[in-house]
Amino acid sequence: MKITGKCWVAPGYVMAYNIITQPFWTSPIDPKENARWVMAGVAEEFNRENGFASQGYTFIVAGHNFAGGGKSIEHVITGLMGAGIRAVFADSFSRLQFRNAINYGLPFITCKDMAKGCQTGDLLEWDTDTGLIHNLTNGNTFQSVPVAPFVAEVAKAGGLMNFIKKRIAEGTIGDLR
Amino acid sequence: MPGMTITEKIIARHSGRKRVVPGELVWVNIHTVMTMDYLGAQTFAKLHELGVQDVFDRDRVICVSDHLVPPPNEKFATMLNEWRRVVREHHITHFYDLGNQGIAHQIMVEKGHVLPGTISIGTDSHANTYGAVGALGNAVGVTDAAVAMAIGKCWLRVPESVKFIVRGHWHPYVMAKDLSLYVMGMMHWNGHLIYKAIEYTGEAISQLGMAGRMTLCNMTVDLGAKNGIIAPDAVTRKYLRSRTKEKYVSLQSDPDAQYEQVYEIDLNKVGPTVARPHRLDDVVPVEEVEGTPFNKAFVGTCTNGRVEDLEIMARILKGRRIHPDVNMLIVPASQTVYLEAMKKGYLATLIEAGAAIDTPSCAACAGIHTGVAGDGDIILSAGNRNMQGRMGSKKAEIYLTSPAVVAASALYGKITDPRKLSS
Ligand code: SF4
Repeated sequence: MKITGKCWVAPGYVMAYNIITQPFWTSPIDPKENARWVMAGVAEEFNRENGFASQGYTFIVAGHNFAGGGKSIEHVITGLMGAGIRAVFADSFSRLQFRNAINYGLPFITCKDMAKGCQTGDLLEWDTDTGLIHNLTNGNTFQSVPVAPFVAEVAKAGGLMNFIKKRIAEGTIGDLR
Repeated sequence: MPGMTITEKIIARHSGRKRVVPGELVWVNIHTVMTMDYLGAQTFAKLHELGVQDVFDRDRVICVSDHLVPPPNEKFATMLNEWRRVVREHHITHFYDLGNQGIAHQIMVEKGHVLPGTISIGTDSHANTYGAVGALGNAVGVTDAAVAMAIGKCWLRVPESVKFIVRGHWHPYVMAKDLSLYVMGMMHWNGHLIYKAIEYTGEAISQLGMAGRMTLCNMTVDLGAKNGIIAPDAVTRKYLRSRTKEKYVSLQSDPDAQYEQVYEIDLNKVGPTVARPHRLDDVVPVEEVEGTPFNKAFVGTCTNGRVEDLEIMARILKGRRIHPDVNMLIVPASQTVYLEAMKKGYLATLIEAGAAIDTPSCAACAGIHTGVAGDGDIILSAGNRNMQGRMGSKKAEIYLTSPAVVAASALYGKITDPRKLSS
């Protein structure tokens, strides 16, 4: 499958607690709700209601340790999903949010040096089968690291909750290894 | 076939495999799941969403009140009431609520809920602390915790291991915190340690007591690592003797285990260390920031709120008075720590020196409870994070360092090298 859309190139050191700022850490986990103030602490331009969500970005391109700083809150992921983000490409991700992303089925795709070959607003085309990302605006291409089968399976089930629910219902939960 | 690291052995053991290799994704059996007041109600709600009403084992789901107690406002009071209702509804055996409270990670280790060779997870990032007893401790989100509460399992990616061999001896005023910050400065936040298992070994680690080991493992999460671990030894076994009756295995890394990197650190080169405001890896030896004025001092948290931390502070502050312009807040990490420090006289010494003591909680660490930062505050903290706004106001600055540096500096209202104090 190919997904096409506009990208936002993140500055360095995007921290989870700036993606979702402190007043919203205890909000209910809900994509629409969490999207309203997502990225509010990352850049002044997004520090208003739907500041980020209204930009119409499909992808985020980032450097190292995206969503780092060690907050385990899942609002970070649901906020991005609610804002229309279909994938995040980065040199590396914080471990906690990498897990959360897998559990919610939002692709966090490791791809080296993409931030150097993209600008905010560029149109990207991502081939989810080959992992190839094509920057349609400037012609650059990038090969991302393939996604593990388990991750794809969870995404296909619509996230870990559904994946587990289905297994419990089928009586196959004991087979997980 | 090459040997395995301690982290690999633990994962293999609990995933029913003979061996695992880095990069593999496996389901593992969980020894204990921790959740706390801040995210606990959400975790139980997720459990119900799975269609499951009862936790997999009432003795192995540990519930703690630490971020919100005692409630400073109506919102937290209401959250706590809901939390208590939910915990009771599930007949959880181990519920550490106000009166019996402490910071969750302290409780998990102190009460014997984490054991060598096992895997425990928690809905808070500093679950890495459990590596201090040779356990694999991991932070997860509420979804993972809910799944583990339901089925006693969690998926893990087997991490590559990185070894730090620490040689030399500890100077009386150099602490595990200084070593943590030193490693932070050495490695930076540039991705080297993200998702890695950090193993601390060497003679300096063997000399370290459990409090220091907890500090070291605690801050591996701030290095971006998956877990931090110290193989169990005589110190570990002695510590656990009074805390658990369960049997455990003292796994060790094989001599031919594979490491992605091995670093050697000479402790003689590590002095009191400070991270400057806003970035954890903006680390300098104390000499470089000596004389920097500050108005608030804070010691507590899951990093440095233990008896040994209070002891060194009491030693420095005994018979002295802190600077009149410094507000000093000390928050023991648990009721047990509080009581022990009281019985040993440390709290009296600290109060006589002009410090304020608050009841165990996370306090101002995450900027949501006792002692938050206001505009213009410059805080010398023995906590774990110094990002802008972490303790409250974005217009505050946080210097991170060890309890010894905080105590010495509080005497002068300026950052001070404790090694230079006349005794
Ligand atoms: S003391 Fe600070 S870092 Fe530790 S669990 Fe509490 S808020 Fe988190």
